[in-house]
Amino acid sequence: MPTAAKRRFSTNQILGFAALGLGVLALAGNPYQGHSVHVDAKELATIVGTEVDHVTPKELADWIIRGATDYRLIDLRRPEEYAQYHIPTAEEVPIARLPDYPLGRNEKIVLYSEGGIHSAQAWFLLKAQRFAGAYILLGGLEGWNDEVLYPTPPLHPSPQEAAAFERTMQVSRFFGGAPRALTDSTARAANPTLALTPAPPVTRVPAPPVSPVARQKKAKKEGC
Amino acid sequence: MNAPFHKFGAFGDEASLVVAFVIGIGFGFFLERAGFGSARKLTSQFYLDDLAVFKVMFTAIVTAMLGLFYLSWLGIVDLSLVDLVTTNLWPQIAGGLLLGFGFVIGGYCPGTSMVAAVTGRIDGLIFILGVTAGVWVFGESFPLLKGFYESGDFGKLTLPQAFHLPYGLVVLLVVLMALGGFMGAGWVERRFAPRPEEG
Repeated sequence: MPTAAKRRFSTNQILGFAALGLGVLALAGNPYQGHSVHVDAKELATIVGTEVDHVTPKELADWIIRGATDYRLIDLRRPEEYAQYHIPTAEEVPIARLPDYPLGRNEKIVLYSEGGIHSAQAWFLLKAQRFAGAYILLGGLEGWNDEVLYPTPPLHPSPQEAAAFERTMQVSRFFGGAPRALTDSTARAANPTLALTPAPPVTRVPAPPVSPVARQKKAKKEGC
Repeated sequence: MNAPFHKFGAFGDEASLVVAFVIGIGFGFFLERAGFGSARKLTSQFYLDDLAVFKVMFTAIVTAMLGLFYLSWLGIVDLSLVDLVTTNLWPQIAGGLLLGFGFVIGGYCPGTSMVAAVTGRIDGLIFILGVTAGVWVFGESFPLLKGFYESGDFGKLTLPQAFHLPYGLVVLLVVLMALGGFMGAGWVERRFAPRPEEG
C-alpha cells in the first residue's frame, strides 16, 4: 500500500493506539448503573391498571408441573417462614436482600409473599430498576393455598365445573394439598344452614385434614 | 440480545429473530472474508505460521468489549440484559480441550465449518455431519454426563468479579493483553514463516 508507507503509522498501529486510549479512559468509568433507579410513573400505572403484571396460582402450578425453567420464583418472606413451607422451585430472598440478589433483567421473575403487600413493593423495586419481566403471584401464598393446595369445590357444579374441579383436585394432590371432594359440596348444599351462611373470607378455605405445617401456614395472617 | 435497540422496545421478540438472522449472516460473511472458510488457513494457526485466527478473534473480543463498556457507560446499552453463561470450570476446560482437538483434526470449528460448507467445500460439509453426530451422542448420553456437566459451578462470573478488580481496569488489562498478543503473534509468524522451498 503506497499511501500507508508514506503515513507515519499503519492502520493497525492507529487502531492499536485507539484501543489503548479507550482502555486507559475506561479506568474512569463503570458500565453498571448501581442501585439508583428511574421511574416512569405513567408506564407503571398503565401496567398496574391493565393487570398484566399478575400470574395466577393456577398458571404457576401449571408451570411447575410442566417443569418449565423459564421463570424465577422468589419467596420474599422471612427465612424461617421459607424453611417452614415454600412453593416448589421458589428461591429464598428476603425483601431486604432483593436489590443485591442476582436476577437477570431478561428473566421472568414471579414474586410472592404471604399476602400481597411485600410482593407489590418488591415488584415496584424491580420495575423501577427496569426489570421488564417482574410479576406478582396473585394473592400471594394465601392465594396459592386457596386455589391450588386447598381448593373449594363449587356449590352447585355444572358438569363442566365438575370436570374442571376434577383437574384442580389433581393439581392439588400433585402439590401435596388436600382438596375437598365434590361430594362434600353437594352434602353441604343439602344442608340449608350451611348453604345459607355466607362464609367469611378468612374461613372460606375449608379446614381439611392437613399436615400441621400447612395448617400453621394458613393460620399465619400477619405481615405479608 | 440485540442490545441496545431491544431495550428501547424498537422491535419485539419475533423481529429480534430476524435481526439475529441478519447478524448471523454478517458474522459468516466476515469469517469468510477473513479467510476462515479454508481449513488450511485455520490450521496454519497450529503450525504458528499464520495467526490470523488469533488476531481476528482477539480483535473481535476487544471491539465488543470496548463497545459494550462505553455504550453501557453512556447509558445506551443495559449491560445487565446481556445474558451470561454460567462458569462451570472443569467441564468447560474439558470441553475446550475437546473442541481444540476437533479443531486440529477436522480443520474447522463449528462456525467456520458452516462458512466452509456454504461456500461449497466438501470437508466443511463432512465436518457439519460430525458436529451433528457429536451433538446427538452428547444429547443421548447426557444422563451419564449430567453430574460432570454441572460440576464446578461458579455462577454467572465475570472477570471483574472473579479478580475483585474495577471494571475499567479489567478493560485496560484485556486491551494490553490483546496488543501484546498482536505484537507477539507478528514475531511468531516471522519466526515460523514457511521457507520458500517448502512452498
